[in-house]
Amino acid sequence: MKKIEEAILPVKPLTRESLTMWILLLVLSLLTIYALAAIDYTSVDMGKAMADTLNNFKTIFFHPAAHRLSLWDAFYEVLITMGLAFLTTLFGGVIAMLLGLLAAQNLAPKQVTNIIKGFVAFIRAVPSILWVLIFAVAAGLGSVAAVIGLTFHSVSYLTKAYSESFEELDRSVIEALMASGANWWQIIFQAVIPSSVSSLLSWTFMRFEINFANAVAMGAAAGAAGIGFDLFMDSGFYFDLREIGLVTYFIIAFAIVLETISTNLKSKILIKKA
Amino acid sequence: MKLELGVNREFSEPLLELKHVTKYYHGAAPALEDINFSVAEGEFISVIGPSGAGKSTLLRCINRMIEATSGEISFDGVLISKLKKRDLRKLRTRIGMIFQHYNLVDKLSVIENVLHGRLGYKSTLAGVMGRYSPEEKLQAMRIIDLLGLHDQVYKRCDQLSGGQKQRVGIARALIQDPKLILCDEPIASLDPNSAKIIMDHLRDVSAQMGITVIVNLHQVSVALKYSDRIIGVNQGKIVFDGSPSALTAEKIAEIYGSESNDLMVELGERYAI
Repeated sequence: MKKIEEAILPVKPLTRESLTMWILLLVLSLLTIYALAAIDYTSVDMGKAMADTLNNFKTIFFHPAAHRLSLWDAFYEVLITMGLAFLTTLFGGVIAMLLGLLAAQNLAPKQVTNIIKGFVAFIRAVPSILWVLIFAVAAGLGSVAAVIGLTFHSVSYLTKAYSESFEELDRSVIEALMASGANWWQIIFQAVIPSSVSSLLSWTFMRFEINFANAVAMGAAAGAAGIGFDLFMDSGFYFDLREIGLVTYFIIAFAIVLETISTNLKSKILIKKA
Repeated sequence: MKLELGVNREFSEPLLELKHVTKYYHGAAPALEDINFSVAEGEFISVIGPSGAGKSTLLRCINRMIEATSGEISFDGVLISKLKKRDLRKLRTRIGMIFQHYNLVDKLSVIENVLHGRLGYKSTLAGVMGRYSPEEKLQAMRIIDLLGLHDQVYKRCDQLSGGQKQRVGIARALIQDPKLILCDEPIASLDPNSAKIIMDHLRDVSAQMGITVIVNLHQVSVALKYSDRIIGVNQGKIVFDGSPSALTAEKIAEIYGSESNDLMVELGERYAI
């Protein structure tokens, strides 16, 4: 008898949390439907706007062409953007490595980890573009502000990611090594980093990809040169849709190359370690 | 190193001595209360007692992974409780430790884990770079062979079975060239067969290498079979300290309190013999 009773019990009982979640989802969907129905389109003809946009897309993606930029120029500008991404990831990674060690709960005292985690959470909460603009006050709009701002945000992002990777190593393993007389730095380099090297790498590549995308945006928004600035000039100044297409394709191509390299590197490291 | 620690040692002096060791966690009932015992070189000692009796705390007070609240602990003629950080590190190199959950770095190979036992002897930089001398590597290989792990040398530790992991744990302790090995429930997570292999290895370590071994155990039968001496702990106090033959059913009842009835069934064979 008892067994049957148990079988009828729902797998997921309706708790307060799940009820709140359902109500929240319901309210959000109702709001979305209402907003779509009640939007004031005024003079915009939705059909025509849609068609024009698609037409622009067609020009951008099916008829890319170089007018202002030669292919070599475009390539060189992408390299500049890539450099910006590389530099900010490198700076960010080195600083975050140290902060990450101090923010990992199995490696540092609780007060220290709390302070650092709180600090980087604050930095992360502000978008990187805002940090660039904040630093532009001191450094002026341009590549310097972009590097500092992006580095700043990378540090906070990677500190969180690294410290969580470090925390994967059980506290008791560290205790075991301490009991054999090893000191903190030895444990870090001989146990903690080897254990987390693959996740450190994948987080770093992840950030590199984010920084590449950010660097494109910074070229436009902060005048940090690179392909993003060309994109900005083509779209906002020359209205050259066909060149926008070319530049976009360049960026996509590079992003794919980056992705391929990172996937290969990661699998190589994983195989070596296995 | 050897000279430095061995200067004042006379042959008759015990290797390890605990005097009035007491440990309080946050003011509640003491985890350890007035612990006194001394250990001669080469002894194989089991510490038994119910869960939460303070066995682990006792073991960890010896190498100061846990700081005793009061009392004196001396090891090899050195007063451990007074040591500064750097000297404590040096002293810990002479005390190996083995754990219930092995506490190996899973993503590293067997030999890398074994060599970790040498870190305490190295300068920070040499340790950070992972520079091990050829002798150290050779010694690691010898110990791995001795423990029957020669086919696993370059395997990652997460690919090993529990018994094999614990043997790596023993190897890591042995390469420290220790005078004393502390074992915290070394066989609690192992099947009976692997447990026997591990206990046999520990007995060999003690009998053939002359290393003193102190083992925390759950199983009274194992303690009876392997130890030279048994220490029974209950509620932070030593209630029995003597040879296995002196451990009578009444004494076991005293150590384990109400849990002892179940144990008697387990021990049936011994009393039948």
